[in-house]
Amino acid sequence: MGALIEGKGLTKSFGGLTALKGVDFHLDEGEIIGLIGPNGAGKTTLFNLVSGVFHPDSGKLYFNSKNITILKPFEICRLGIARTFQIVRPFLKMSCFENTLVGIIGRNDKNGGKEERKDEVRTLLKFVGLGNREQTLAKDLTLIEKKRLEMARALATKPKVLLLDEVLAGLNPSEILQALELIEVIRTQLKMTVFWIEHVMGAIMKASDRIIVLDQGEKIKEGKAEEIVSDLKVIEAYLGESDA
Amino acid sequence: MGNKQQAGTAKKVGIPALFIILAILPPFFLSQYWLHVMIISLFYVMMASSWNLIAGFTGQVSFAHAAFSGIGAYASGMVAVNLGVPPWLGILIGTGVAALLGLGLGYLCIRMGGIYLSLTTLGFSEILRIIITNEDKWTRGTMGLQVPGFFSEYSKANYYYLFLVVTIFLLIVIYWIVHSEMGLTFRAVLNDELAASSSGINTIRVRILAFTISSAMAGLAGGLYGHYLMLITPDIPSLGQMFLVLAMAVIGGMGSFIGPIVGSFVLETLSEYIRIYGEYHVLLFGLVALAMARFAPEGLMGIVGKKWRKEWVH
Ligand SMILES: Nc1ncnc2c1ncn2[C@@H]1O[C@H](COP(=O)(O)OP(=O)(O)O)[C@@H](O)[C@H]1O
Ligand SMILES: [Mg+2]
Repeated sequence: MGALIEGKGLTKSFGGLTALKGVDFHLDEGEIIGLIGPNGAGKTTLFNLVSGVFHPDSGKLYFNSKNITILKPFEICRLGIARTFQIVRPFLKMSCFENTLVGIIGRNDKNGGKEERKDEVRTLLKFVGLGNREQTLAKDLTLIEKKRLEMARALATKPKVLLLDEVLAGLNPSEILQALELIEVIRTQLKMTVFWIEHVMGAIMKASDRIIVLDQGEKIKEGKAEEIVSDLKVIEAYLGESDA
Repeated sequence: MGNKQQAGTAKKVGIPALFIILAILPPFFLSQYWLHVMIISLFYVMMASSWNLIAGFTGQVSFAHAAFSGIGAYASGMVAVNLGVPPWLGILIGTGVAALLGLGLGYLCIRMGGIYLSLTTLGFSEILRIIITNEDKWTRGTMGLQVPGFFSEYSKANYYYLFLVVTIFLLIVIYWIVHSEMGLTFRAVLNDELAASSSGINTIRVRILAFTISSAMAGLAGGLYGHYLMLITPDIPSLGQMFLVLAMAVIGGMGSFIGPIVGSFVLETLSEYIRIYGEYHVLLFGLVALAMARFAPEGLMGIVGKKWRKEWVH
């Protein structure tokens, strides 16, 4: 049995700058995989390739062995890969309710009628902690609430894989704990595979089954958290930008 | 809670109902001249509101809206003149032709998006005008195509009611679309196209759909207009007409439901007063619209009442 998502030799340049250089990676079903690396390492670019926002200059992407390299974002989403954005992009002039409903409408199997969809939206908003914000416009939310809303919208698409780009940034320690619980529930109850980018080292090391490390567009390391922590090369990569 | 909801429903049904009752009255006290102004205003309400559906709700600034009204008018007029098709059937054919051409044009140029859509639709309008002017065997060119009216006995009051009914019908359809799940995808695309696409929305399809629906509505409005004037000229699909519609939507308030309605009545009535100084009103309105777009992007409705506007569409 192959991997759920597989990337082979992914390369992507912007003008003269090569953001990703021949990256190979794979995600297995049910895993939580952390993606780390210094700023500008190419983490978000890798998410953009997987979610179809950009297409690689070379290399291939597979989802359930299906070639998804050049599919459009909505096609990839409908296949079962949803994402949040590092720089949040909720629909600002729409309510939390409407934001989440969009995720359901886009689905191939938006089962049931309007009422069932309403219930589903309410359940999702409660799940991410926005139960009392249904009618609030997204532009009136705090940054953290906007991130939660993006999470609800992504979950509404019923993905098999969830890509989370720095969802913990800006949270305080107790909020981080809450978020980690949420991610664990997403894995165990919703049976999703989670691929996430984080700078909060303690959290990502603790909650991930496996870590992939990018530096200057290259995958420099991959393995279990303990192995990664003890790897000097990685620490070096981080030293460059630590105590920020 | 029940009371509040009831009050909300009463408002939602009550206010439009009041307007409809008021709208029945004009033929009883207006002169033929002002009744004519009202009929033309209703035509512009259809045009500006349907243009608002693409420009205001999906963010696509099309310059082909007047062109599509011309397509509706000429299609209906030509089947009436050449095949003796009655106007009521003719306007349906005109609407269909406008929808088909809208779908085709949308399919070809919406992928390009943004400024390219505006430029392509501008080009389309010009090409259409040239064809209409030159193919005078069919269209009678700048002379104008004489077409039959709707009623065997000419009556402005009848036309007024006909326009009123169709306008209300169009507005209900637009209101329904904006508040439906389809309308939600329109707004999602306007808010953030990439986020919409990443949430599973086929954004190109949404935009083509909005463009097609809007073009069909322009075709319907144009068909009615032609059979009211009983003379179809290249002025109907002209860019002057286009900018007038644009100014009505922008000045009234784009992206709001009532904005284009208010803008149409205000500007059409104003043009009757300004017209005596020459045909500068389109230019003047264009300048006002530019200033509004810059300083009061929500238009008159944004200035008059934010709260009121919010209750209809937020
Ligand atoms: N759309 C883009 N256009 C130009 N350069 C980009 C774009 N996206 C990313 N980059 C560049 O690619 C490199 C990797 O960026 P990114 O993937 O966002 O890094 P990370 O998420 O790891 O911080 C950076 O140098 C960034 O400036
Ligand atoms: Mg990033």
